[in-house]
Amino acid sequence: MLNLFILAAEAAPGAAEPNTSHNPIIPELGELVYSLIAFAVLIILFKKFGFNAVQKAMAARTERIRKDLDQAESAKGEAEGILSEYKTQLADAKAESNRIIDEARQQAEKVKADVLESTNKEVADLKAKATQDIETARTAALASLQTSVASIAIELAEKVVEKNLDRDTNTRLIDSFIAKVGS
Amino acid sequence: MADDRTAAYAAALFEVAQGEQDLARVEDELFTVANRVRTNDALRDALTDQSLPVDLRQGIVEDLLGGRASPTTTNLVSMIVGAGRAKDLPAIIEGFLERSAGSRSETLAEVTSAVPLDGDQQQRLAEALSKRVGHKVSLKVTVDPSIQGGLIAQVGDTVIDGSVRSRLEQLKTQLQESR
Repeated sequence: MLNLFILAAEAAPGAAEPNTSHNPIIPELGELVYSLIAFAVLIILFKKFGFNAVQKAMAARTERIRKDLDQAESAKGEAEGILSEYKTQLADAKAESNRIIDEARQQAEKVKADVLESTNKEVADLKAKATQDIETARTAALASLQTSVASIAIELAEKVVEKNLDRDTNTRLIDSFIAKVGS
Repeated sequence: MADDRTAAYAAALFEVAQGEQDLARVEDELFTVANRVRTNDALRDALTDQSLPVDLRQGIVEDLLGGRASPTTTNLVSMIVGAGRAKDLPAIIEGFLERSAGSRSETLAEVTSAVPLDGDQQQRLAEALSKRVGHKVSLKVTVDPSIQGGLIAQVGDTVIDGSVRSRLEQLKTQLQESR
């Protein structure tokens, strides 16, 4: 702005005359006064007509920035909520997966125990049946043997009786029978 | 119905036989016939074979008993066979013997022996059985060597088995049951 006033002063008709004592940097007093007056007028005009607008624009901008910050804060809070929810869901998912894995493990253990128990029972049943079969076969064989022994013994006894049961012996048997019946 | 008919035939036999002088002989002969029919399958089959003419079956009776048994016995057996009741002959004769014994206030005692019993043995046995059952018995003895020795006596529903065969059977049962 100052340079503009300087250039304007230089372009004025009075400045066309060369002045050897003229300082190109420091303006002359009159020029300076005019410049100060012009600047003051400019300030007053600005204060009167432009400051409020600028202040209003600044306030609006400030308000917009504050809203943006609030929105950002809200978005941040929402994001943190969502993040917290996701973390909760993740934790729940992990807990659920752990529970499923535990259940699967327990079920597998139970199946294993059931199969083992069933197998043990089956083996025990087979063993008991085999033992029973052996005992039955042993009993049957023993009974058959006893029957055979009894038959052989009776056959021998019959032969002995037949050989030794003479008339006198038979008479004694008959007398014994009569005595027993009459007693 | 069969029991009624058997009893009726037994009563008829008794009515005919009691008029005879030697009733004891008829009883013994009929008792022998009953035992033969009971134990001889061929004889029983021939006498009960309805396909054979009645005359032929009665002829078998005549051939077996004629000249050996009394005419009364032969006629009574022939009458039963001719009536087609040969299969009931043992039961009819038993009924006759019970009825005959009952007429003398006696009870029929059927005794099976491996060997023939002499008079003394029969008398002592009859006395012993009479003492056992509480009244006089009429003894009928069958000789059956298959009992091997001893005696079997049946008075009514009571059976007293003192045979060697039954003792051997008991011994066999005990041997088989002993574990």
